[in-house]
Amino acid sequence: MTELIGSILVLLGAIFHFSAGLGMLRMPDVYTRMQAGTKASTLGNTLVLLGLAIYQPGWGLKLLIIVYFVLMTNPISSHALARAAYGIRIPMAGGTGIDALRHARRNPGGRK
Amino acid sequence: MIQRLFAAAAVGSLGLVFASLAVGYSEQYSLRPLAESYVRLVPLELGAPNVITGILLTYRGFDTLGEVAVLFMVAAGVGLVLSRQPARGRASTKMRSDEASEIVRTGAEILVPLICIFAAYIIMNGHLSAGGGFQGGAVIASGVLLTLLVFPQYQPNLEFLSIAESIAGALFVLVGVAGLITAGGFLDNRIFPLGQFGAFFSAGAIPLLSALLGIKVGCELSVILERFRPQKR
Repeated sequence: MTELIGSILVLLGAIFHFSAGLGMLRMPDVYTRMQAGTKASTLGNTLVLLGLAIYQPGWGLKLLIIVYFVLMTNPISSHALARAAYGIRIPMAGGTGIDALRHARRNPGGRK
Repeated sequence: MIQRLFAAAAVGSLGLVFASLAVGYSEQYSLRPLAESYVRLVPLELGAPNVITGILLTYRGFDTLGEVAVLFMVAAGVGLVLSRQPARGRASTKMRSDEASEIVRTGAEILVPLICIFAAYIIMNGHLSAGGGFQGGAVIASGVLLTLLVFPQYQPNLEFLSIAESIAGALFVLVGVAGLITAGGFLDNRIFPLGQFGAFFSAGAIPLLSALLGIKVGCELSVILERFRPQKR
């Protein structure tokens, strides 16, 4: 039973990874691509590792530490990359309406 | 259209290559004679469960010493070339003076200690599981790189780093010479008792050599990273 649950979780994670790859190919600009890659691959990683932890309970603690590490690093690194891309003024896709970072920089200390 | 055809042809030929690899692959069920003798001898003679580290630090310890010397020469060369170039305003205009954002700073404050702990784990378990001095030293350097990226004002103490690196290197050679005197040869790990197989303090001098190697590699890579940082002033 645990093997079945673990395998299903790993498969779900693989589906999320696939959607991350699809997003990298299909999204129009850097920021949306980064978002697709980060969000979907973070969830995919978490699901794959949790599935493995259920499949192999002996590895559980180490896998949980890896999940924590991925949850810490993946969003932070993509945040830094996105800010760097914004900093060198990579253009956004045509339909982008709101630039929250520019608003925040124009009136610092304003409401979030 | 033609582009698509070319892309499809490229993908198809790549697939063919990988398919031929996959079809031609047959699993080896027995080790080659050299590998077999290593697998048999390392736990027996050196008392190290991790055969790779046993080979790297004892049978081919001299080779490892040479690799570290090469790394040292790289660090010295980088220092020689890059320290002659003070900032001429070129690099500093390219660098944005923006601080790293709060999220990145907080993340780095949490991550750097974790990275250091992980590096120590890798170094000290080199004789038991996957790991060793080189890998752990590289992990230390990645922590230093994160610090340098996030806190641009942070100035690592280059003097301390080079002194620590030199001491580690000298101790490495001294351990090797001790092996020459009291055990079978240069860098022989049996200058200390082998201890219980698989325990933390076991495999003779291998953990000590791992730690020294980790310190040395970590310091060297950190110095190289610091040298490559564009000077801000």
